[in-house]
Amino acid sequence: MSERNEEGKKVNIFRRLFQKRFWRSLGLLFALIGPGIITSNVDNDAGGITTYSLAGAQYGLSLLWTLIPITVALIIIQEMCARMGVVSGKGLSDLIRERFGAKITVYLMMVLFLANLGNTISEFAGIAASLEIFGVSKYLSVPVGAFFVWWLVVKGSYKSVEKVFLVACLFYVSYIISGFMGKPDWGEIGIALVTPTLSADPAFLTMAVGVVGTTIAPWMQFYLQSSVVDKGLKAEDYAYTRVDIIVGSLTVNIVAFFIIMLCAVTLFQQGIRIETAKDAAQALAPLAGAYCTYLFAFGLLNASLFAASILPLSTAYTICEAFGWESSLNHKFTEAPQFYGLYSLMIVLGAAIILLPNMPLIGIMYYSQVINGLLLPFVLIFMLLLVNDRRIMGEYVNGRTMNLITWLTVGILILLSLAIVITSLLPA
Amino acid sequence: MGTFCHVDKNAFPIEVGLCYILPRLEVGVMAVNAEPQVFLFLSEILGQPLIGPEGRPVGKIVDLVATVTEPYPVVTEAMIDREEQRGDLFLCRFPEVEEVRLPIHADRTTADDYRPPELRENELLLKDSLLDKQIVDTHGAKVLRVNDLQFLMARRCLHLVHVDVGFRGLMRRSGLEKLVDLFLHTFFDYNLPNQYISWKYVQPISTPDLLRLKITQDRLARIHPADLADIIEDLDVNQRSAVFRSLDVETAAEILEETDPKIQVSLIKDMNAAVASDIIEEMSLSEAADLLGDLPRDKAEGILKEMEQDIAEDVKELLAHPEEEAGGLMTSAVLHFLPETTVEKVLAAIRGEAEDMDFIYYVYVVNEADRLLGMVSLRELLAAPMAARLADLMDERVISVHLDEDKDEIAELFAKYGLMAIPVVDDLGRIKGVIPFKNLLEVVAPHLGKK
Repeated sequence: MSERNEEGKKVNIFRRLFQKRFWRSLGLLFALIGPGIITSNVDNDAGGITTYSLAGAQYGLSLLWTLIPITVALIIIQEMCARMGVVSGKGLSDLIRERFGAKITVYLMMVLFLANLGNTISEFAGIAASLEIFGVSKYLSVPVGAFFVWWLVVKGSYKSVEKVFLVACLFYVSYIISGFMGKPDWGEIGIALVTPTLSADPAFLTMAVGVVGTTIAPWMQFYLQSSVVDKGLKAEDYAYTRVDIIVGSLTVNIVAFFIIMLCAVTLFQQGIRIETAKDAAQALAPLAGAYCTYLFAFGLLNASLFAASILPLSTAYTICEAFGWESSLNHKFTEAPQFYGLYSLMIVLGAAIILLPNMPLIGIMYYSQVINGLLLPFVLIFMLLLVNDRRIMGEYVNGRTMNLITWLTVGILILLSLAIVITSLLPA
Repeated sequence: MGTFCHVDKNAFPIEVGLCYILPRLEVGVMAVNAEPQVFLFLSEILGQPLIGPEGRPVGKIVDLVATVTEPYPVVTEAMIDREEQRGDLFLCRFPEVEEVRLPIHADRTTADDYRPPELRENELLLKDSLLDKQIVDTHGAKVLRVNDLQFLMARRCLHLVHVDVGFRGLMRRSGLEKLVDLFLHTFFDYNLPNQYISWKYVQPISTPDLLRLKITQDRLARIHPADLADIIEDLDVNQRSAVFRSLDVETAAEILEETDPKIQVSLIKDMNAAVASDIIEEMSLSEAADLLGDLPRDKAEGILKEMEQDIAEDVKELLAHPEEEAGGLMTSAVLHFLPETTVEKVLAAIRGEAEDMDFIYYVYVVNEADRLLGMVSLRELLAAPMAARLADLMDERVISVHLDEDKDEIAELFAKYGLMAIPVVDDLGRIKGVIPFKNLLEVVAPHLGKK
């Protein structure tokens, strides 16, 4: 073989290697902005949007400042989850099962199932409410929505599903646009954002606690850690993951900021009382224009559909992982019956309960919030014990400062979630 | 379901089991039946006090140590947590017991029976390494989670015979067994079965040490490579590389060929180049080239340097072509001969090289300049007289493709002519390699199942 030919081949190999590498780095960039952003955005679900709307409509800008500590807490907690996922290669329910045994895990999973079912119901309520604004009956929108969600996940591959989810994240922009439509006074808002306001009014405190509770929910720690593991992220990618989480936590709170702010500068100033996100959307029309209502409703629809796809999926994954059942979208129904069974059960129950006449929806949401509030302390304590376990985390355990910050954060969150439970159980 | 043995206490093959357990004693079946045997779960023992000679509890049993012997591990020690000083762990020889009586009495325990909690070779901490952890069921080729361990009490010892992976075990552990039974029985007239796996089919994987246990070494190798590849994909990253590293070079290569490219890369990336090159040499050339193409450039170059020269050359040649074209699909290990070669020589050559070839069913006939003239199938060679020359046997209407032919065109040729392989030629018609149907299938198959 001639010299020239040999040379040419070498160049060719290198070009090919380079090309692959280039595409891989580009792929890596997109691959790494998955878990954190998706998890955070799902958190702005129907329940979240309702809570933010109510907070803005009832208390104006006075709760806006809570978003800053919430963002910090969210970053701290999600960072630990992602770190555990990257280092151990295992999901949170997997680690809890291995470290704390079968009994605790069985009860934890039962409670998680109930809590997530409650959340799923509220997502379907969100689908119904948002489409009613567009004049679609809930007897049409809920079954179609349920079928869409089920079809998307069962028939699509994980990759295509994730892409759909990332696109859904973009639609949250509709809240930012509608926020500007309210013609806010930025100076006043800026001051409100950095001025901690507290009031001894129990209703005010309940609302503050509600805003925290809706942003930091038990299921998301499980979901985030599993998706980090699913991505096969390794310790060397961890720096990117941290960015992903920070960006995710910031965007979720930016969206929350715009919702609270919009409702504050419109509904609160006009003294309009609302009870649901749907009320909020409808009340916006005379104040900020019909498009604002549509954008608000569209955002609610997107958020509800998005969360209704992820919550049942995450629940099924988490439970199957804890009990060692086959859990993957790449298997057929007969190969992973528990996984598909749980997934379908949550969607069917979630949609059916909305369609039943005379269902005490408000009551269901209240209790689902109570269960979430009861569950969160356990999950957080388990997380802290796990993240400090050298047998699992090796050198990646929390440092002393980090431990101080996390225990403090977790302590406050535990107090707040207990407060949610107590206030929810007290007669209104 | 072939995976699980649904065993009740009476159905356990006592004769077989005990003959293994007690090889030294020539026990007749009568004698065996006279021995009281009982089944006991690990979860029933954990947390129980160990009662010492004076009738006072020595401490709480927090784990059991078993010595791994064939066919079933024997419980030799209990790990004790002294009540007065929590966290102060030590091992105590597990007492010989006549019958199962909880709590366990260690009446004849002396100071010699205690030792610090360090494991010797071939010892296993049962709760720590098995309970609630994942295992591989080598019979059903699945990754499962252990809900409980079942011991058989025989000859005054506890033998680990079954691993409980069923829902019933899970409910028993959480104290809901009776409730679930009542519910299922009342409403569905259904009895929840036990799901046990015999220890013989269990490969523990929770720590890398467990993969080095003498007894369990070849259990994974008995699984079909395609199934083992699926199992490896199910494991977490740490277990994955531990399992992979425990395999011999040939099995590892077979597994790599069957796994997803992303996982291939993660498995090879952390290995040193020398070990990786040994494994990759065992892979088929086209698979090896695909894998190297997916690795980071410096890693791929490092591995290529460590590989045997001639294999490395062939792989580099394949690397120069895009994966979805003929040049990237082909393997350069191709049998080709001059027209005057005799059948005898060809068969001898096939015999000699078959080991290293991906595909031997067709041989190709070429001129001195390597230009493709025709082909002969193995069937024709076997049917022909030994003295016949290839020139007389060959089919000159051989279908070939150019190096840059697209995969869809190639698929059409396979379908149209019903071939098992298609040779690849360069601009001058010289043979460069051959595409066995299997290679094409791997590229095309992912698009087939999609609706």
